Amino acid sequence: MPAGHGVRSRTRDSFSRPFRKKGYIPLSTYLRTYKIGDYVDVKVNGAVHKGMPHKFYHGRTGRVWNVTKRAIGVEVNKQVGNRIIRKRIHVRVEHVQPSRCAEEFKLRKVKNDQLKAEAKAKGEVISTKRQPEGPKPGFMVEGATLETVTPIPYDVVNDLKGGY
Amino acid sequence: MGFVKAQKSKAYFKRFQVPFKRRREGKTDYRARIRLINQDKNKYNTPKYRFVVRFSNKDITAQIVSANISGDMILASAYSHELPRYGLEVGLTNYAAAYCTGLLLGRRVLKMLEMDDEYQGNVEATGEDYSVEPTDTRRPFRALLDVGLIRTTTGNNVFGALKGALDAGLDIPHSDKRFAGFSKDNKQLDAEVHRKYIYGGHVAAYMRILMEDEPEKYQSHFSEYIKRGIEADNIETLYKKVHAAIRANPTAKKSEKEPPKQHKRFNLKKLTYEERKAKLIERLHALNAAAGADSEEED
Repeated sequence: MPAGHGVRSRTRDSFSRPFRKKGYIPLSTYLRTYKIGDYVDVKVNGAVHKGMPHKFYHGRTGRVWNVTKRAIGVEVNKQVGNRIIRKRIHVRVEHVQPSRCAEEFKLRKVKNDQLKAEAKAKGEVISTKRQPEGPKPGFMVEGATLETVTPIPYDVVNDLKGGY
Repeated sequence: MGFVKAQKSKAYFKRFQVPFKRRREGKTDYRARIRLINQDKNKYNTPKYRFVVRFSNKDITAQIVSANISGDMILASAYSHELPRYGLEVGLTNYAAAYCTGLLLGRRVLKMLEMDDEYQGNVEATGEDYSVEPTDTRRPFRALLDVGLIRTTTGNNVFGALKGALDAGLDIPHSDKRFAGFSKDNKQLDAEVHRKYIYGGHVAAYMRILMEDEPEKYQSHFSEYIKRGIEADNIETLYKKVHAAIRANPTAKKSEKEPPKQHKRFNLKKLTYEERKAKLIERLHALNAAAGADSEEED
């Protein structure tokens, strides 16, 4: 009998619950709210059978484009042949986690706004652009002593003393 | 069978998955909790309130709770040990006391949200099924009954508290199937019987029976009632007064608690991170000083 290609084929491990985490899922997944434009990770929870995405989307990150009663619409990129399509899927909230990919950006936004406001108050012009790490500055080496190392001539007798 | 090596090996424990903590304690039914808490995602942060009723051996706790990731938030709470403030001192876990506690919580919440004039609820408790009618200005306060782990049989005191909250003016989806006085045969709620329970009529009936048949048992069982001069005939008027007092002033009283006593410490107090670092710096300074002194002595 050939192997099947059903919707949930080859998901034996990826859809299974982790070790010692089977059964009821913690309630915080139900209490989170998602707004349109948020970034979310799609991670299938095998304990909940409704509203599961296809296995392709397991591990993908996308943006929320729709919020319904029990599910979230997520827009995920998928490469089909020679192009990338923006796929819109609906997933129940149990299979979705808030993504931290945009967290650093959000924090930086807040900090930059604050810095700009302070600079404006003082009247100076600052640039909040991130600079890549440049080459290390030059420095003087201190407390270094010079030790000259020269090769010694090969001493057959001594070297053979160990093993023969 | 004889000698059976019934051992829980190390392997057993390594693979054992403990249930959630509150399930281990036997306090929370997660199946029910998930269904009570789940809010429609397109309602975003709108809280979904639960009307929680729990009975202990001597007290009734009624709370309006909304769920949060960091922990449930209590909007208002009422306990049957507050009822002495309104004139009821005995029988604090019976159907009538549950009704009073539910009524107290309902009026308290409405007063807190300034809806108590709009929604008077059912002022005269008749035992009939009463549901709040929405007025033009604001919709009624909606909560969902959370019974916890009790068995929902007809006439359970939890539904007494539910009736109290309904008569107070809260919007709690319900059916009259489990109120005291619902008969399964005609599938109808007998409002008379329910009213009897709300006003402690069942307690009064038992008092009368005991007084007739077993006066010594009556003396021992209802000793607190007798001490306060409550008799079978004036139970109803007593509850009527309590209801009126509750409607008059449902606000909670802030209890004055003195700060807890300082006890003598028998073990060392754990230092904070800053304190430990400071100690280390001090020690290093001392060492350096001593080393400096030593090297000076040597020199």
